[in-house]
Amino acid sequence: MAEQILMAAAILTFLGVAFSVLRLILGRTVIDRVVAVDTLTVVSISLIALYAHVAGRSIYLDVALVYGVLSFLAVLAIARYLEQGP
Amino acid sequence: MLELFVYLLCGSILVSGILAVRLNSTLAAAVSGGLASLFAAVCYVMLGAPDVAMTEASIGSGLSVPIFLYAIRRTTEKAP
Repeated sequence: MAEQILMAAAILTFLGVAFSVLRLILGRTVIDRVVAVDTLTVVSISLIALYAHVAGRSIYLDVALVYGVLSFLAVLAIARYLEQGP
Repeated sequence: MLELFVYLLCGSILVSGILAVRLNSTLAAAVSGGLASLFAAVCYVMLGAPDVAMTEASIGSGLSVPIFLYAIRRTTEKAP
């Protein structure tokens, strides 16, 4: 039962990756693409956490932690760039 | 099953690279380049190298995208 739940979680996470990449490809404005990349960052953090549970190694959670902090900084820099804009 | 996920992530890296080359806006191209390094970091974790993934996450996505944006802002006269 647990394996089926984990497999369903992995498939749903990859569906999130697929739809976000689709939004990135089709995106009409730049802001759509930036929001798609931010969504992909959150989905990737959940993917790393899920794989840390599957592999049974808690060192992978540190990667997810570092990634969360740094993606926040990157999105903040993008927002500051868009605000100062033209 | 793990190999299938790694192949899907490699396909996402390819899509991000092609988008970074073909997009018209420089901001969207820089963001797509950062996205390629994001997928590479997840791929490194799945292949069993968490230290390489941490370095890739900190430098490839956390440091290079703001430096690109700083350079774009300093080198363009008008809107990006």
